[in-house]
Amino acid sequence: MHNRIYAIIRRETRELLRDPVYLGLAFIVPLALKLLFGYGLTMDVKNIPVLFYDLDRSSLSREYMNSFTNSEYFRNVGLAKDYKEIDHVIRSGKIRVVVVIPSDFSRRLHEGRPAQVQFLADGSFPMRAEVVKGYVAAINAQFNQGMVSRYLSLKGQTAAAVFPTSVEGRAWYNPSLESKNFIIPGLLVITLMFYPALLAALVVVREKESGTIYNLYCSPVRPWEVVAGKAIPYIGVAFINYILIFLMSVILFKVRFTGSFILLSVGALLYIACTIGIGLFISVISRTQIAAMLITFLGTMIPAFLFSGFMAPITSQDITGQIVSRFIPATYFMGMVKGIYLKGLGFGYYAWDLLTLTIYAAVVYSVAILSFRKKVG
Amino acid sequence: MWGRIFSLMRKEFAQIFRDKALLFILAWAFTGAIYTAGHGMSMEVKRFPTVVYDMSKSPASRDLINRFQLPYFKILSHLHREEEITMWLDSGKASMAIVIPPDFQRRIDGGKQAKVQVITDGTNSMSATIATAYLAQIAGDYSLEVLEKQERFTRSAFENLPIIDERLRVEFNPNVLSSWFTSLLELLNMFTMVSLLLTAAAMVREKEYGTLEQLMVSPVRPGEIFLAKTIPTIIITLSLSFLSIFLVLKPIFNVPIRGSLMLFYSVTAIYVFTMSSLGIAIATVARNLPQAMMIMLLILAPMLFLSGAWTPPEAMAPWMQRASLISPMRYFIDFGYSVLFKGNGLAYVWHDIVGIIVLGTLLFGFSRWWFGRKIAK
Repeated sequence: MHNRIYAIIRRETRELLRDPVYLGLAFIVPLALKLLFGYGLTMDVKNIPVLFYDLDRSSLSREYMNSFTNSEYFRNVGLAKDYKEIDHVIRSGKIRVVVVIPSDFSRRLHEGRPAQVQFLADGSFPMRAEVVKGYVAAINAQFNQGMVSRYLSLKGQTAAAVFPTSVEGRAWYNPSLESKNFIIPGLLVITLMFYPALLAALVVVREKESGTIYNLYCSPVRPWEVVAGKAIPYIGVAFINYILIFLMSVILFKVRFTGSFILLSVGALLYIACTIGIGLFISVISRTQIAAMLITFLGTMIPAFLFSGFMAPITSQDITGQIVSRFIPATYFMGMVKGIYLKGLGFGYYAWDLLTLTIYAAVVYSVAILSFRKKVG
Repeated sequence: MWGRIFSLMRKEFAQIFRDKALLFILAWAFTGAIYTAGHGMSMEVKRFPTVVYDMSKSPASRDLINRFQLPYFKILSHLHREEEITMWLDSGKASMAIVIPPDFQRRIDGGKQAKVQVITDGTNSMSATIATAYLAQIAGDYSLEVLEKQERFTRSAFENLPIIDERLRVEFNPNVLSSWFTSLLELLNMFTMVSLLLTAAAMVREKEYGTLEQLMVSPVRPGEIFLAKTIPTIIITLSLSFLSIFLVLKPIFNVPIRGSLMLFYSVTAIYVFTMSSLGIAIATVARNLPQAMMIMLLILAPMLFLSGAWTPPEAMAPWMQRASLISPMRYFIDFGYSVLFKGNGLAYVWHDIVGIIVLGTLLFGFSRWWFGRKIAK
């Protein structure tokens, strides 16, 4: 029995080594992806291009505009000449927010009356619009506070200006709220979801197309030995990739790593076993390589990105999203990775996640083995 | 020439229609996948898991806490000890803790400011920022009511204060619904993935089966083989996308289709041609499907996630912004949202169309040149 598994492992490994282009790609691709995503995927909404339409042209309106452009969030692109231009820039998508300052802006404020400022935001990308909304409200509130206290102290009534509550926000684990600190560890999870699945997706179905599967059908080898023998070399390749990606995140991207590397690696090994298992399962049930490849690409890449809790907390999702998130192993590993990287927590917190991943792996391999039938046609 | 292309195309269609699993996954890609993405994935901060540590236990603090309600916040527990905050946040069960100081009521009654402390889990910096902003807004409303009750201030007094009232309007998506964005994005993603993968796999298969040599000795020219591979992909993706628009986007999510569908479909046909040409270029370079798959992964993943839809292009590193100009999807995303969502015409999207055509021509030309040099000899 051990000899049979060993023979299959040796054969798979030899096939990997025989194609140096593929082997090279298998190690280069995940690192290149991590590099591109690490530099490209930033969720910090900064330098939002903003256009002003200043109908007032007073020193006060200039001061108000500066309060926006002095922050790192907004980048001034200039002044609009008329309403037509505003419509044009919003439509073209070059500008994300337009601020319209009315002609009676400074007059009203100097008289101690409220003034209205209109903001037009591009809603094509809701997440960005949401953040813009928050920034606008915060900067505006700050400007107002200054205005009001200046005005009231001129009139000698400072007491009334005391606001009963203030909110003091503090973020744990990532005090500067840099998106890098959760994106880089999150990418480790995402990459190790689709990449191992793709590695394994063609392994069995290839043999079906080329006909070499009949060698296996005719031999005394059992289904579970085939699945295990094919999984083990690829788990090895993916695990080496995990270590490389981990080193990259800590050395190149300088993400804080506060937890235990051993614990993370145990989790990663289980997780990779799950995702290789998913690929193998798809490979076993598919009849053609095209179908296997499409199913794996569609079934792993975007779902991992959307539903693992990478972009937005799972609790905020609708029921469909919550159900999907339970079916992908990335969800269980995501909490672990963020916790170990940024919170530095120990085994006790993740016993449940590790157990879930173990059960997940057991189910995936059982299903794959049961679907592998030694029959013709 | 068209006769030869036509008979080759018939063979392509026959191969696709014979593969039931492939047909199923294609249909799923353009319906079910779009539904789950649009329905399940939301970037809004909803049901944010929150715990409260109320040291004041006064009517005033209870009044404030009662305002932190669904849909934004879900209060999971009322804590009695400070250490419990660490426990809840460490385990990730709660993402936010609201701490109300013991002197809350006393300070408010005394006309002084009381500080509410908000601790967020920074491992998801984006939702932490948005949730804190919501909370500050609610606390602000509460403060105004307190002022009114204490008769230190009335709402009408606002008429006599120099306050800037920001009126923010989100164009094209007034309620900032993420389902509009995500479902449309998923449709554009599917065009990208399916046209690349399907064409490349169909081409590599000829190589692996050795049927390419048979084609080479027949009177068919390389350009004709390429066209016979791309045209079926165009027909299949375009007809399936009718299902997406008329069965999912419009009836389920009420996505407003503001622009011309004629324009959208004509340019999408060109885009599918461009992506298919990319697939053929990869297929001519790669020796087998595993190699082709790795190369496609390397190209597809950055294309999908750095397309400018998830992350603002203006926040990317400058070299990344320039590099993204060679991605056809960047133009297609811009084009898709511009036409379908904003209802723009040619005047706004002609440069995207030029980009797609130029890249498509280059890729098609490259494939013919490489094919003639390496394979036809």
